[in-house]
Amino acid sequence: MTDVVILGIGIHPFGRFDTSYQAMGAQAAGHALKDAGVDWQEIQFAYLSRMYLPATSGARILKTLGCTGIPIVDIEAACASGGAALRQAVLAIRSGEADLGLVLGAEKMPRGFMDPSMIYSPWQIEMGLSLNPAYWSMRARRHMYEYGTTEEQIAQVAYKNHKNSVHNPNSMYQKEFSLEEILNSPLVCDPIRRLEICAPNDGAAALVVASAARARQLGLSGKPITIAACAHTVARYSADLRCPIDSMSARTSNPGPTEEAARQAYAAAGFGAQDIDCFEVQDTDAFCEIEALESLGVCAPGDGGQLAMEGVTGITGSQPVNMSGGLISKGEPVGASHLGQVFELVTQLRGAAGPRQVAKPTSGLAHVLGAGGNCAVTILKA
Amino acid sequence: MSENAGKGGAVPRTIREGLFLGGLSQPESLKLAGTRCSSCGETSLGSVALCPNCGSAQVEVLKLGDQGTLWTFTVARHRPPGDYRGPEPFKPFGIGLVELAEGLRVMSTLDCPLEQLRVGMPLWFTPYLRYDKDGGAVVAFTYRSIEESAS
Repeated sequence: MTDVVILGIGIHPFGRFDTSYQAMGAQAAGHALKDAGVDWQEIQFAYLSRMYLPATSGARILKTLGCTGIPIVDIEAACASGGAALRQAVLAIRSGEADLGLVLGAEKMPRGFMDPSMIYSPWQIEMGLSLNPAYWSMRARRHMYEYGTTEEQIAQVAYKNHKNSVHNPNSMYQKEFSLEEILNSPLVCDPIRRLEICAPNDGAAALVVASAARARQLGLSGKPITIAACAHTVARYSADLRCPIDSMSARTSNPGPTEEAARQAYAAAGFGAQDIDCFEVQDTDAFCEIEALESLGVCAPGDGGQLAMEGVTGITGSQPVNMSGGLISKGEPVGASHLGQVFELVTQLRGAAGPRQVAKPTSGLAHVLGAGGNCAVTILKA
Repeated sequence: MSENAGKGGAVPRTIREGLFLGGLSQPESLKLAGTRCSSCGETSLGSVALCPNCGSAQVEVLKLGDQGTLWTFTVARHRPPGDYRGPEPFKPFGIGLVELAEGLRVMSTLDCPLEQLRVGMPLWFTPYLRYDKDGGAVVAFTYRSIEESAS
């Protein structure tokens, strides 16, 4: 099967800006093209990952670089939009129809809770069942009940990620908080607190992808990063307590979307969680990181709360997680979040992450999970 | 349709189609609807044409029992976004998944003192009438920690 590689990466910082989404997207795309050493005129196709932007946003952003006539398609799969778009790019190159493309993620979102009408039915909104953090919190509460996970363990994840963000100039928040500050921050939805959840915001990230053969022809100096796997799944029946569900089965035990996407990704990559050197995982709330690491097979179910406490997931730990500061620090511009994770992993695999650099990584995994049980897992190999 | 529960004399509307069994003019007598699949055995919430687990059309609608137990919960500390129509002024309220004997868990608001919320507590299905600003009556539901008498 054709190997697909990442030739270039670009980003517009995540945060809140007066800049238009077109300008943010064009900046990230321009940086990725420059990083790859490729001209926009050479790009054969482009996908835009976005959720809250209007129709034809991809064309509106990228036509500013030149109307070259290539197909430009917007892709949406909630928090997994970036994974869905990257997967389509991989498939396009593997099909043999193309060997050089651009994947862009961009978003511009209002402050505060996300617009509930995007994913909830009117009756859920009327009744007040339209708070995304309520669903995250109910998962945390059940995990605490089943496994004895504690509020301190959840806070420790937030502590670690905020601490990592201090070294990431592209993060919205770059501020360390003490464990006490986190545990004393106001409850949003019990037991999850304000300093343990991420904010919707603005940002963009872009990747130039190519077949390995095309990359060799281009004769670029740096070693390209291989996409060892890119899987996207939508949760099976009742497999996920994620917004906007109205009920779930008490009888079935289908594997969750992260388990399913990870299973597919590990099979494609030919290696598993214990062989991966660094991770960027969905931490829209701090508990989500704990659950994600269990579902990815980094630890056994119920043991996730101990990882941050024991330093396993710190920058100098054996399996560093959310070196970038995670979504808790960066914010979650939904369409850009997964590609932002991939940007971080490529930076790490190139050894260019500065003070947040993990020791000599050769592989990395990015994970996103969101509405409807949309989940994507991408694995990179140096 | 003989009794009129709405202020304007009209039969109240249901907050969601297919959710209740019984006459909307007598909200206190309503039951929650479920759909049982004879192919896979799953029971899902509301009256639906196809089983959301296996897609089978071999389904039957049934009344779900009133009593359940709390499987997990949270407390909404902030006013939900958008067209929220809960009590004014806003007060923090419980949200949870209530497990029923039929083998499903229902997402619901919880009518219970917040300090009493705990996994495993018994709860009862409680339909109620709510009035919109224009006077229109709406039948909604919650789960309450104290069993109401049938009247």
